Amino acid sequence: MATEAAGRTRSRGRKQPPGAPPPQRPAGSGRETAAPEPSDRRAKSQGKWATWLILPSLILLACVIVYPVISAIALSLQKDQGLDPATGMFVAGGFAGLGNYIGWLMQQCPAIGGGTVSCAPGTLGAQFWSATYNTFFFTVITVAIETVMGFWMAMIMARTFRGRGLVRAAVLVPWAIPTAVTAKLWFFIFAYEGIANSLFNANILWTGSEGPARTAVIIADVWKTTPFMALLILAGLQLIPNDVYEAAKMDGATAWQRFTQITLPLVKPALMVAILFRVLDALRMFDLPYILTGGANGTTTLSILVVDQIRQGFNAAAALSTITFIIIFIVAFIFVRFLGANVVQNTNIVDTKEKS
Amino acid sequence: MSTTTLDTPRDSQTTGRRDIVKPRRKGVVSGGVLTTVTWILALVFFAPVAWMVMTSFKQENVAASNPPAFFFEPTLDQYKAVISSDAGPYFLNSLIATGVSTLLVILLAIPASYALSIRPVKKTSDVLFFFISTKMLPIVAVIMPIYVISGQLRALDSIWTLVILYTAMNLPIAVWMMRSFFQEVPGEVLEAASMDGAGLIKTLRSVLIPMVTPGIAATALICVIFAWNEFFFALNLTAAKAATVPVFLMSQMTSEGLFLAQLSAASVLASLPVVLAGWLAQKQLVRGLSMGAVK
Repeated sequence: MATEAAGRTRSRGRKQPPGAPPPQRPAGSGRETAAPEPSDRRAKSQGKWATWLILPSLILLACVIVYPVISAIALSLQKDQGLDPATGMFVAGGFAGLGNYIGWLMQQCPAIGGGTVSCAPGTLGAQFWSATYNTFFFTVITVAIETVMGFWMAMIMARTFRGRGLVRAAVLVPWAIPTAVTAKLWFFIFAYEGIANSLFNANILWTGSEGPARTAVIIADVWKTTPFMALLILAGLQLIPNDVYEAAKMDGATAWQRFTQITLPLVKPALMVAILFRVLDALRMFDLPYILTGGANGTTTLSILVVDQIRQGFNAAAALSTITFIIIFIVAFIFVRFLGANVVQNTNIVDTKEKS
Repeated sequence: MSTTTLDTPRDSQTTGRRDIVKPRRKGVVSGGVLTTVTWILALVFFAPVAWMVMTSFKQENVAASNPPAFFFEPTLDQYKAVISSDAGPYFLNSLIATGVSTLLVILLAIPASYALSIRPVKKTSDVLFFFISTKMLPIVAVIMPIYVISGQLRALDSIWTLVILYTAMNLPIAVWMMRSFFQEVPGEVLEAASMDGAGLIKTLRSVLIPMVTPGIAATALICVIFAWNEFFFALNLTAAKAATVPVFLMSQMTSEGLFLAQLSAASVLASLPVVLAGWLAQKQLVRGLSMGAVK
């Protein structure tokens, strides 16, 4: 999808007529409507300038992001060259069609003497659906907890109290420190002789089995990201004008009614965008489980599976990464299309509100 | 610190109280309780960091004790050890990758975000959507070809590969953030500049950029945080020569427990620049990121 957009953008850059019609939704439309005549003419002459100003950025993104995406798709259609681990025979590579994709989705591995069989348990090929499940499991659980806790924290932080600035700064620290440090920190906390066990007087092998390992990843992720979510929601809360609450109070609305009738609907645009980006981020989760548990015991996400696969075969890894991309894109599409997380439009809403 | 809030204090006081405190008459009492709860909450969130900082000032044998000792003789030995160890090159690599990529991002994003904010481009929202759609892309989707391409260009394990990648990685966010800052420049200022015959470059340099300097600074700080913390590219594309701080920390993994205090000191040193950056950018961070450019 990113490639498609880039293609369109580039072709537009080439054949844009000098007298291009004004855009449907011009940036800062308030300004143009104030004095339509002269700025309309200027806008036309400035359209050319603008293209040149954006072009360097678009070229960089095209080279570093769009081209690799296309070439990943091209790679994914090729067979992996080299010695087949199962048969010991040399595989010449060549065009594979959708073979790599089907291999992942059906969990089929190449068999001795051609053809395919179900991948043996424990091999990477047999982990696709469990990795997908893990990824979505982590995404749903962490984003749900982070949203609820973040909302609560944001409501608390919206008040004025002694040392509010300090609390906000302290709460931001977990987000700012490198994920590698976060994962390391929680690795030691969840070590067998670590703080978590001595605090609860337990003897849990946190990274040793599925339940505790997943819990550890979830706790670490929630710790790292909740404060940040809270700050995003806080920004949304602060855009709600005070007199709305004032009026509701006059009409005798209870605190709960004010929350469900005013706070929730008005903060929804900001909230949806925050959730959307958190979800997209959680679907690509890599660093935290990679360092904390090494992907063992039900914490292998799709991203970890791709990295593991790179060592065993480029082309199959490219297919898997493309599948991951498609999954994330579908999720983003559902969010934008059906749940009203309109990224571009929401920015404009926020903008106008801030100006007034 | 308290000036780095978005709203006027009075506003949030009234809204906040009414949101949270149910029994209206007991507002003062519950306010006190809530403040305490808030502080406890903040402390719980801060505790792991505090533990790390505390451990970094311990001797190794004290750090290994369980339950952790709260009273101990603080020492700077661990910091000395980290600084005199082989961590130097990693920090230098991180510094180059972060500094140069942030500079490039700002240089590219200023004209682009300006064009997207003030002067209407055909289908501005399309371009904006393209920028943000690159954030939907899982990095794993591009790591393979980037690995192959940099191998062909003999650019593996080179810090400049990371510089280019980090520039591209942060550019969309920077454009989104800076656009929101440019949009706040009143239209009259631009009118006046063009009346005085100022061209594009002159308008940008002497009128606009000075006005949005705080926004540019905040954007730069965000880029610093993301570039400094980046782990995936650094892990997969570097080896001995160009590895950055997160990779260094990861590689210390094997010595678990043994050098806990020294590792804590290294972690504190690795976190210090970004925490400082996050703290400085706090106000603009929240606003800029709520514009839709999360992480």
